[in-house]
Amino acid sequence: MQERITTTLAWRNVWRNKRRTVLTLLTILTGCTMIILLNAFAKGGHDQMIEDAVAVNAGHIQIHEKGFWENRTIDYAFKDETDIEEILNDLNIKSYSKRILSAGLLSHKGNTAGAVIQGVDPEKEITVTNINTKILPGGRYLKESDLDQILLGETLAKNIDAETGSKISMISQGFDGSIAARQFEVVGLFRTGNSEYDNTLLIMPFKQAAEVFTMMGFINSIVIRADEISSINTINQNLKELLSIKSDSDFEIMGWDELMPELVQFIVMDDISAYIFDFILFMVVAFGVLNTIQMSVFERTRETGIMLSIGTRPSQIVKMIMFESVIIAVIGIALGLLIGYSLSYYFQINPLDYSDYTKEMEVWGVSTTRWPAEATLLNISVTALITFILSFVFTIFPAKRASKLNPIEAIRQL
Amino acid sequence: MSIIKIENLKKTYDSNGIAVNALRGINLKIENGEFSAIAGPSGSGKTTLLNIIGGLDKPTSGTISLSGEIINDYNPTKLSDLRLNKIGFIFQAYNLIPVLNAIENVEYVLLLQGIGSSERTKRASNILKEVGLEKEMNRKPAKLSGGQQQRVAVARAIVSEPEIVLADEPTANLDQDTGSALLDLMHELNKKKGITFLFSTHDVMVMDRSERLVYLRDGIIAEDKTK
Ligand SMILES: Nc1ncnc2c1ncn2[C@@H]1O[C@H](COP(=O)(O)OP(=O)(O)O)[C@@H](O)[C@H]1O
Ligand SMILES: [Mg+2]
Repeated sequence: MQERITTTLAWRNVWRNKRRTVLTLLTILTGCTMIILLNAFAKGGHDQMIEDAVAVNAGHIQIHEKGFWENRTIDYAFKDETDIEEILNDLNIKSYSKRILSAGLLSHKGNTAGAVIQGVDPEKEITVTNINTKILPGGRYLKESDLDQILLGETLAKNIDAETGSKISMISQGFDGSIAARQFEVVGLFRTGNSEYDNTLLIMPFKQAAEVFTMMGFINSIVIRADEISSINTINQNLKELLSIKSDSDFEIMGWDELMPELVQFIVMDDISAYIFDFILFMVVAFGVLNTIQMSVFERTRETGIMLSIGTRPSQIVKMIMFESVIIAVIGIALGLLIGYSLSYYFQINPLDYSDYTKEMEVWGVSTTRWPAEATLLNISVTALITFILSFVFTIFPAKRASKLNPIEAIRQL
Repeated sequence: MSIIKIENLKKTYDSNGIAVNALRGINLKIENGEFSAIAGPSGSGKTTLLNIIGGLDKPTSGTISLSGEIINDYNPTKLSDLRLNKIGFIFQAYNLIPVLNAIENVEYVLLLQGIGSSERTKRASNILKEVGLEKEMNRKPAKLSGGQQQRVAVARAIVSEPEIVLADEPTANLDQDTGSALLDLMHELNKKKGITFLFSTHDVMVMDRSERLVYLRDGIIAEDKTK
């Protein structure tokens, strides 16, 4: 019953100065909206970046023999067993592609350059990556029937003065230690936007790589594409368990984050700057609430004194003021969530498109031109919770102070 | 037993390091059913005395007892309950909670006392009728005249059936006629219901109407006469 008068008083006090309350609501609402949108764009942007990055070459997950990633030599190979394929077929993944990986020296017209060599099955590879879409005009992607036909990174080709149609020689070492040397025909150049690939990568048909490098049924890597990023950890876990049961080889199973630590670093830095903005926005909201409550408490000094004089307990004053803050916070947060989520959803369906700036972005190794937002439940609930807690905490001080007013002095202020 | 018994009450304020002796040894008894005024010029200590009687302020020395119980050492919660249940306050002006209408302001005290809804409404509306505000019950303070606001304050002060109503210059902000009418009302309530009133004033009209006049000067009782 006494609770009801406290809530009634709080509710009416909230609407007493409508202009100030509306302004405070706008502060909370705008803050929440901006925080949700900011984090939604960060999340959506990062996911898109990851998707684009994994699609170029790395895939979501790679399986190697233990030690391969550190040494990157053809010696770290494992047997291409049907057992492994069975495991992969049972897993909830989109696709996978086997690769033979090596390094070699290329020469053309008296120029030489080192290259990273990937032997891939042309059909299987493009279920995992989109390298076929990165071929420059005048060239083509690999065909199933190709043997001596290869693709070169644009810059790598330039370094040895090669172009589409050029015949180049390659020299390297086979799996068995023998010399591997061969002439190839460049049928296409690719530009991925990622300088690591464009400067060093040579892609050749899997069949040919197996023969040139005398792989004898061994492979160096299986690249996996998951249906979505969120399922990667589970796949990773399952793979580890299943592979250790079924196969004797010692594997390293690496997620995109281990494969592309620079990307992780970029995302972490980006997240940190988003958190800093979040923090600033949260503080703006918190001080907005503090200011409003302080003003409204200050204006009510006399009546608070009267209330205390006629027997209102200080704790009831605290409750009333806390409740006022809660009312404002809940309405502001609810509206903020609604608008923030709606806007995020809009930008999820209609991502920002900055293809006009692709050139500038490529410099950064980013080839994404779509920037969708994605408001996660976590983002929304954490935003709501922190805003609520902050407005609550920032009200405690003015509320306590009001409850400790000396009624005599409060009443003297006419 | 006296409702109020004050013995050798002293109050010294510290005003920026200077001791101000607001009350310098007061001895006073107020009996049940009195209609008394504490008079005296501004600064003579009237408000200080009423505040101490009402448990809003503590004396520097001396004792103050209410219905035989010494309240000097009450803690804030006990004082809060004392003010809620045993004392009715009427201040000079702006007594009411602005967001509550007349009847809600009166009910507020009953709510704090934990009295149920139907009894609350009944008692509050009856009291408002007695103070002549039958038609204004649902008006917020801002929509009431100064005199009407003071009547609501009177209603709120008596609705909880306190042992004494303390009114600090209740007519000071009212014009002569309105102040006179308010005093008539309080006197009538005193006569009809036996409610004890103690008010402070420096208004001659109020002094004339009171049945006992305690005259304060410089923090001591200069004169105490019952008519
Ligand atoms: N909080 C205070 N601090 C310092 N001096 C005070 C305070 N309250 C009252 N006084 C002083 O005490 C004396 C009595 O004041 P008060 O009780 O308000 O008189 P009255 O109500 O008769 O005008 C005055 O001199 C006044 O200035
Ligand atoms: Mg005074």
